Amino acid sequence: MNVAMVNVPQVDRVASDKVGLRERISIRKLDFYYGEGQALKAISLPLYDRKVTAFIGPSGCGKSTLLRVLNRMYDLYPNQRAEGEVLFDGANILAPKQDLNLLRSRIGMVFQKPTPFPMTIYDNIAFGIRLYERLSKSDVDGRVEESLKRAGLWNEVKDKLQANGLSLSGGQQQRLCIARTVAVRPEVILLDEPCSALDPISTAKIEELIEELKADYTIVIVTHNMQQAARVSEFTAFMYLGELIEFGDTQKIFTTPNDSRTQDYITGRFG
Amino acid sequence: MRASLYARRRRRNAVAMSLSLLATMIGLGWLVLILGALLWQGLSGVSFKVFAEMTPPPGSDGGLLNPIVGSLIMTGLAVLIGTPVGILAGTYMAEYGRYARTTSIVRFINDILLSAPSIIVGLFIYEVVVAPMGHFSALAGALALAVIVVPVVIRTTEDMLLLVPNALREAAAALGIPRAYIIRHVAYRAAKAGIVTGVLLAIARISGETAPLLFTALNNQFWSTNLNAPMASLPAVIFQFALSPYADWQKLAWTGALIITLAVLTLSIVARVLTGSRRQS
Repeated sequence: MNVAMVNVPQVDRVASDKVGLRERISIRKLDFYYGEGQALKAISLPLYDRKVTAFIGPSGCGKSTLLRVLNRMYDLYPNQRAEGEVLFDGANILAPKQDLNLLRSRIGMVFQKPTPFPMTIYDNIAFGIRLYERLSKSDVDGRVEESLKRAGLWNEVKDKLQANGLSLSGGQQQRLCIARTVAVRPEVILLDEPCSALDPISTAKIEELIEELKADYTIVIVTHNMQQAARVSEFTAFMYLGELIEFGDTQKIFTTPNDSRTQDYITGRFG
Repeated sequence: MRASLYARRRRRNAVAMSLSLLATMIGLGWLVLILGALLWQGLSGVSFKVFAEMTPPPGSDGGLLNPIVGSLIMTGLAVLIGTPVGILAGTYMAEYGRYARTTSIVRFINDILLSAPSIIVGLFIYEVVVAPMGHFSALAGALALAVIVVPVVIRTTEDMLLLVPNALREAAAALGIPRAYIIRHVAYRAAKAGIVTGVLLAIARISGETAPLLFTALNNQFWSTNLNAPMASLPAVIFQFALSPYADWQKLAWTGALIITLAVLTLSIVARVLTGSRRQS
């Protein structure tokens, strides 16, 4: 829970992990436009399997935009377009023939504000499962329980699964959203400032959860909180004005960045 | 200086307050008078007979059973026809065609339709249904009422769906849920109370309509549930009886007016309660 953690033995661990690094998603020369305005400029970046990558940078730098390219969320809106390549297991997800629903079932996303559906806690989770798998009632029950346990919410809601999802507190709602995302068994999880609407205790719970989830998933997190990036991620990408300024080991970015702009940002001189 | 400014402001405030209060009392006063007159004149006529007997010829006893049933049939049919059309169109405008040019054109035309005089709707159905068929019919009456239902339901459905936060749609899309499912299971669910309210308001709106029925369903003195024949309705009977010189017919007209008013009032209250419960959740 503090900045000091950044400087502790992580060095060795990251170095040794590097041997087994596998590139899960490769972003290559990605440009993104909102109508006429260009929001991302020639971004190239690897995202490694079973690792947490953090996108940091001042507001409006394009980090959320980049995240929303990865599951093609931008496709819901007109006048937004991406150019370049995003390879996911070797296939370009920006290709027009890409099935968006299938892609999004493999690349899940958790948003800044908790967004429980207006239905029961149980249905919030079962909804996505039932759509992609034909499971018996008891199997769905099992999956709901498993997902809620993974999200660290089971003990708090096991006696009120039929209560409305909106009746939970903000932190609980966010964990419900994470449980919902995990329930459909994606391969990648995108987190868009998942803690910015939460109190410190809920934030700590979500961070613990990210720590556990990365054993099975590739995780990308956008955050405004630099301590959080330092605590939870192995890799960090610093973005500024739509450009990727620097990408590398979190430990390195936070201690000895190559670019002076990164240095200025992480030491709080701007942003 | 400061004290005199403040005093002036207080005086202005008092004047504005009194004017507002007066305007409110004038507005509400009419409503109270109308309701009072209805209750005074109509309540004494309410009896079991009203709901059990047909409209009488002048000078004899009778009730309002055939117009009540006629109104229920035609209103029900109109809602049955108009609601799906309205909800589907509203769904297109708010979900699929939100950024389409068609939507803004349809919305503009719909707003005109929403405030179109109902007598024009009656004339229109007369031209396209009654004239070719060669006779008045309950079906034509229901169609005319449906034409009035559609724009009301389109408007409320679109408005209510637009109120559903995009974050909710994004969250569902992020799970890989197809659009049709998102609309049915997330957007409709979030907007349900509002959409139902819209339908109730549409019912309230058509249950008092007289003009579109005069050209289409006409009226019927006798019991009839034949959709292919003229049918009695409360507004048309009230219109006919209230203008008649017979005291017993006039009395029945008052009773009919009271029944419609109470029905609409009940619907409005139900709509209010539904919207209220939506705001809470």
